[in-house]
Amino acid sequence: MSEWEPKIAAFLCNWCSYGAADLAGVGRMEYPPNIRVIRIPCTGRMSPKFFLSAIREGADGVWVSG
Amino acid sequence: MGIVKRKSAYVEYAQAVPLKYCIDGDSCIYIQKGKCGACKKFCPTGAVDFDQKEVTETLKVGSVVLAPGFRPFDPSKFDNYQYAKLPNVITAMEFERILSASGPTMGHVTCLSKDEKEPKKIAWFQCVGSRDMNKCDNSYCSGVCCMYAIKEAVIAKEHLGDALDCAIFFMDMRTHGKEFERFYENASEKHGVRFIRSKVHSVTPVTNTDDLEVRYVTEDGELQTEIFDMIVLSVGLEISPEVSDFAKQLKIDLTPGNFCQTATFSPVQTSKEGIFVCGTLQGPKDIPQAIIDSSAAATAAGEILAEVRHTRTKTAEKVPEISVTNERPKIGVFVCRCGVNIAGVVDVPAVAEYAASLPYVEYATDNLYSCSQDTQETMAQIIKDKNLNRVVVAACTPKTHEPLFQETLVNAGVNKYLFEMANIRNQNSWVHKNNPELATKKAKDLVRMAVHKVALMEPLEEAELQINPTAMVVGGGISGMAAARSLARQGYETHIIEKKSQLGGQALNLYRTAKGEDVQEKLSDLIGEIETHKKIHVHLDTEITDVEGFVGNFETGLSSNGTEETLEHGIAIMATGATPLQPVEYSYGKDSRIVTALELDRKFIENDSGLKDLNTAVFIQCVGSREPERMYCSRVCCTHSVDNALQLKKLNPDMNVFVLYRDLRTYGERELLYKQAREQGVIFIRYTLENKPQVNIENGKLLVKTVDHVIGRTLEIETDLLALATAVIPNRDDKLANFFKVPLNDDGFFVERHAKLGPSEFATDGVFLCGMAHYPKPIDESIAQGQAAASRGVTLLARETIFTSGTIAETDPMLCSQCGVCVSVCPYSAPSFIEEGPFAEKAQINPVLCKGCGLCVASCRSGAIHLKGFDNDQIFAQIYALNEAV
Amino acid sequence: MPKNVIGSVMVAGGGIAGMQAALDLADSGYYVYLVEKGPSIGGRMSQLDKTFPTNDCAM
Repeated sequence: MSEWEPKIAAFLCNWCSYGAADLAGVGRMEYPPNIRVIRIPCTGRMSPKFFLSAIREGADGVWVSG
Repeated sequence: MGIVKRKSAYVEYAQAVPLKYCIDGDSCIYIQKGKCGACKKFCPTGAVDFDQKEVTETLKVGSVVLAPGFRPFDPSKFDNYQYAKLPNVITAMEFERILSASGPTMGHVTCLSKDEKEPKKIAWFQCVGSRDMNKCDNSYCSGVCCMYAIKEAVIAKEHLGDALDCAIFFMDMRTHGKEFERFYENASEKHGVRFIRSKVHSVTPVTNTDDLEVRYVTEDGELQTEIFDMIVLSVGLEISPEVSDFAKQLKIDLTPGNFCQTATFSPVQTSKEGIFVCGTLQGPKDIPQAIIDSSAAATAAGEILAEVRHTRTKTAEKVPEISVTNERPKIGVFVCRCGVNIAGVVDVPAVAEYAASLPYVEYATDNLYSCSQDTQETMAQIIKDKNLNRVVVAACTPKTHEPLFQETLVNAGVNKYLFEMANIRNQNSWVHKNNPELATKKAKDLVRMAVHKVALMEPLEEAELQINPTAMVVGGGISGMAAARSLARQGYETHIIEKKSQLGGQALNLYRTAKGEDVQEKLSDLIGEIETHKKIHVHLDTEITDVEGFVGNFETGLSSNGTEETLEHGIAIMATGATPLQPVEYSYGKDSRIVTALELDRKFIENDSGLKDLNTAVFIQCVGSREPERMYCSRVCCTHSVDNALQLKKLNPDMNVFVLYRDLRTYGERELLYKQAREQGVIFIRYTLENKPQVNIENGKLLVKTVDHVIGRTLEIETDLLALATAVIPNRDDKLANFFKVPLNDDGFFVERHAKLGPSEFATDGVFLCGMAHYPKPIDESIAQGQAAASRGVTLLARETIFTSGTIAETDPMLCSQCGVCVSVCPYSAPSFIEEGPFAEKAQINPVLCKGCGLCVASCRSGAIHLKGFDNDQIFAQIYALNEAV
Repeated sequence: MPKNVIGSVMVAGGGIAGMQAALDLADSGYYVYLVEKGPSIGGRMSQLDKTFPTNDCAM
């Protein structure tokens, strides 16, 4: 196995997944630190342009959750 | 609860408010023996003070609301369950903690025996400390245990998989709340939870194991045994002796079950003037009912103080906002240590140092606790001294702390939208505690992204709207009238809109309440007060034809006998009520001796002399309720029939009275009526949905055939009266629901904002609900919910003005191509076409209706819509900052 | 109504019922003293895992 770890950009809905990520912290659950969260007001706000530019900026994966 | 040991310096639980440690004086070595004191020595903020003494303060108040709550019944004294002795016999409260992710087993369901094995079979015993006069004194039904046991069984299966066997041992299954019957049905049909109608005799440990043998007696009297790994006792709710002593000290009358004595028509008023009651002290109840009567108690306590509203409240002084137009961003970054919560993992000074190197950052520092009062003041001072015009706080989550920091900005004269948070605790230090290096790198990234975004933030305005201090109540039944009365007593003009030509609704057909009050007498008192109150305007024979506007400013078209008028109001309450089902079974309509429950009430009201001469009377329950096409319990009928059965017995003690039922649901202290009915010889016979009673009319004889569940034989009863307890059907009004954009469920009841926490309001701002339009309920609960809806409405009206959110969408008419996608896609109907002027037919967005979700922004093919606070450039700034080298 | 009425209310108990009553009263323009015996508010509901019938988290 290589040492390579993917970098992930996450677009999380303020009302559900973003709160869930907060609760994961409250529950002290551990997950790998190679994820960067961008809070959006609703996944309805998600535009394909955000996805493409995140990839262009070097993200290996984009996660949209809401 | 003592499932595991905790230290004497503790936080109650992970989400406690306030999230502060405290010291358990009973177990602290320092307090008890004067030794140790380590916590005082190590606390970095010097927060431990052993010299704090109990102080007594005297408060002068206008009214009092009592909400001391319940304690779970302690089953230690029951020797047949051996709770105190056997580790795997636990209470339902303990099981809740075992299921909880933040509980002692981190949500992993295990036995509490030393082997900590995963249970394969769990049993629940119902009515432990409820409906029991033999082993304890709680004769009432606690009203919540059936549902919580089903919920625990379903969730346990979610945790451990479908192979887990869950069995619930019960007497009557009481799922009389909204959506409860379906939950029960699903638990049995979909999840395979076993329901065993029985009485548990005893529990004995299986030799050399921690397994448990249950001996129980089934309905037909057979003794059975079965082995389980774990037994959960569904303990009831009771009032602690301290609370009842306190109530007695206040000279408040209590019921036989030690709950607060209240009247049906004033359900939250104690026997002492100015003191109100809510929650379980008012009677055993579930969460939504507690929320309903706490709002009711709030308005009742407020009504007597309406004249002095706003005299004791404090208003914060407003700091004038500085203009940042044409100023280059001057960003301040505050990185929080959160004690050791962040600093224990993340190198906070390094993050602050890095922040200082970012573009436009004028100032960066770290704080021990950014949210503390003194840090807030320091921050405001720094913002002023350094002329900062943008702020980033790297700390916990904006979900909880954004408003607090925004207030600090406002206090420093900076627009509250020139702010961004970097979540370096909940989404960083707490989840990467074994990787400090990468966590620090991530914190730097998150700060950089926030700085890039905040640099592009612009000051946003929140529009201030006047609220029309007038209320409209749709429906003039008990609940609508209770709502109107509370609103008027609180000083607001209130209009009642009633379709019929008379106030009163279904209560006009009721004889007496479960507590024995005369409904017609109390009802005419209430109608009298409504009709004479100067602030209440009653519109009879009136229909709603049209609704325009939104919270604070509705315009409703009314039509009455051909006359049209427009009513302007700030809030609306839906109290449209329900109607009894007209039965199509049990030969109803073929014989005058077969009547509905309300027709029997009519006979009582009219003092029908024939009633006392009856030899036999039969009641059939669940007529149209709890059937596949109407999968809900009508909640009121069991108590109603039991009470009417008792009334018949009172008229003629020799009358044979039978009640044919499926589960008897006399919840709360209504159980005492059931007990009384059995003592007075009313005969209760259970039937099943598959084997319903048969009604025949032969040679003028009215015959009811049913299978007796105890002896297993068919009985034929010749009766002189057959009363059908018919289902409660909501007055479904799709037009009205559409006017106010409020949802209806499949059964036709309105859907409230939140099943638990928002039972009397809609998700639509400024629209509220109460009474049977929400779910079938007796008079006391209808009145409480009417008061609750009024209370929720007053919280809006008392504000006088409302601010819209600043983070809303806005169109650029120059770019708009009039395609109409935003108009069709918006769930809140905020976009519309401009009707006239230079931009006619282009889209515009109503800032009051917009919730700022951004759906229209992403859907706009012309790029003509901007979402303030989450605009393209602001989100792109964060994306572009993703990959900069640290 | 008696003169010298005081525009404040005491709510005894910081469980969900007490909290809801306190919030409604405060939002209606009355000063509220919320009195709780324990170190934090939330009461019994905060000890629950999920709530019926929606199985929402009780927190």
